[in-house]
Amino acid sequence: MKHAGPVTGSTAQNAVGEGRFTLARLAVATIATLMMLWPIAWMVSTSFKRPEAVFELPPRWIPEAPSLAGYEVALSAAVLRYFLNSVIVASATALLATGAGALCAYGLSRLRFRGNRAVMLALLGSLGLPIPLLMVTLYLLFFRVGILDSYLALILGHTVITLPVVVWLLKDFFDALPREFEEAAFIDGASPAQVIRLVILPLVRPGLAAAAIFVFVTSWNEFIFGMTFISSDTYRPIPAAMGLLFLNEFQYRWGDTMAVATVVTLPIMLLFVLFQRYFVSGITAGAVKG
Amino acid sequence: MNGVLTRHPLFVVALFAPAAILVGVLTFYPFINGVLLSFTNYSPLYKDTSFIGFDNYAYLLEDPAFWDVVKNTLIMIVSSVVIATVLGFALALLLDRIPVGRRTFRALIFQGWIVPWVTVAVLWGWIFNADYGIINWTLRNLGLIDGILGWTTDPVRAQIVIVSGFVWRIIPFMMVMALAGLQGVPDELLDSARVDGAGPLQRLRHIILPLCANVMLVAALLQAVRLFQEITLPWVVTQGGPINATTTLSLYTYKAAFQQWDFGLASTVGILWTIALVVIASVYLKFLLRRHD
Repeated sequence: MKHAGPVTGSTAQNAVGEGRFTLARLAVATIATLMMLWPIAWMVSTSFKRPEAVFELPPRWIPEAPSLAGYEVALSAAVLRYFLNSVIVASATALLATGAGALCAYGLSRLRFRGNRAVMLALLGSLGLPIPLLMVTLYLLFFRVGILDSYLALILGHTVITLPVVVWLLKDFFDALPREFEEAAFIDGASPAQVIRLVILPLVRPGLAAAAIFVFVTSWNEFIFGMTFISSDTYRPIPAAMGLLFLNEFQYRWGDTMAVATVVTLPIMLLFVLFQRYFVSGITAGAVKG
Repeated sequence: MNGVLTRHPLFVVALFAPAAILVGVLTFYPFINGVLLSFTNYSPLYKDTSFIGFDNYAYLLEDPAFWDVVKNTLIMIVSSVVIATVLGFALALLLDRIPVGRRTFRALIFQGWIVPWVTVAVLWGWIFNADYGIINWTLRNLGLIDGILGWTTDPVRAQIVIVSGFVWRIIPFMMVMALAGLQGVPDELLDSARVDGAGPLQRLRHIILPLCANVMLVAALLQAVRLFQEITLPWVVTQGGPINATTTLSLYTYKAAFQQWDFGLASTVGILWTIALVVIASVYLKFLLRRHD
């Protein structure tokens, strides 16, 4: 574009051509986006249909007589209990994994010692450990300790699968922060607790947010631990509950199923809208470095 | 910094203790225990457990059904990752050339990545429903099929359902990674190639693809590892059927542990899986590093 002169014959003509290209690209991009998003639209559409309307052919994208019957089920006390369970587990996991991970990442970033890199690689490698193997052995461990069918079992399980990512994410973050402030604070006699609270925390907040969101979303999404560690409705998180409902009570109740599915997805979409940049930095952080 | 911190040894301990305890008790110990379990016939249903050496390993490696599971898992995951990588890259190329609304398109397409797996699962169950699903209805209207096509009753079609769900869910990730990769392609290089008369396809082949290859290969490996862990879609949509066609390794392990209650066998699958992963990942990474030189 910047090359004026002999190369391009007529800039005006080029601009017209470019403009036409741009329109075509916008059209293709719109079609591609619709191709990606139609299942979500179909889910929302179905969630507003009356039970009979669900089976109508040809299917209607806009329900003729929209109904909230599905949402009455999705927001009934029984289903809300599963949501509450997921909120409790995901929040507690976000606190635990982000807290423990941040401390560890800070240590790894500030202390140079032999094996520092090996620890990081071991953490990365542990992400490849088969989750089904962990499922079996953690089940056994929790069974022996007597914490199966409790929030704690899920919180610990979800912490294990997210902690390594948190450490990687935040180590990058701490590495990018200048050390001089901390050193000066330490030399002036500040206690470690003061240094963390007054010097580090204010700077690292965006990183902590990205990590906590990643953990929350992973926990909210996790299915098989919720399926195996939990046996009672009292503690069952929403993904496992939804799988079971879908295969049992909800058979053929597509409107209800889609309403619950929509409500499961909503909190995550809301988080995304509020914290979009953290999401993207969360997913690219570990990978681009590799 | 080392000097400053070593004056606070308790602080250093406090930094590492929580993560070390969590990883030690909840990853390291279970892994060792998994290795031990794989040499036993442990089942929560029976009181007696005995050491059975490599019997579990021999049983699995000689069981054709297990190899079917391995084969089907590989077919589904490799095709998902390849398709999603190509489509994600194509989407990124497209969005990279759009002067306006790039962020909006990216944010919209990214929605797929944040939809919980269980939502994808029930949604796929609905759109691929034989009688009232919108896929069958569309195919009928296009004249491609008559009547009803059972998507989960035929092995290949059931695999298509699973693969399409995997692909849909990971395309956004691939696209974001590709966009990051494309940022690393210097504009001057593309401009001078254009001046030298290189067409769009030549620029893609000789400049863009080589420069983005590493990012995409790493992204593909990450997704492959992650899809091996994924269990929700087959568990909910097909329950691994028909006849194990969509039983992934993770679902197989689940069934061994929680349907047959054979924890020894389930652990053995996990250990074999870990060994295979280490071998494949190191070969793959060596290949990547050689490309890098």
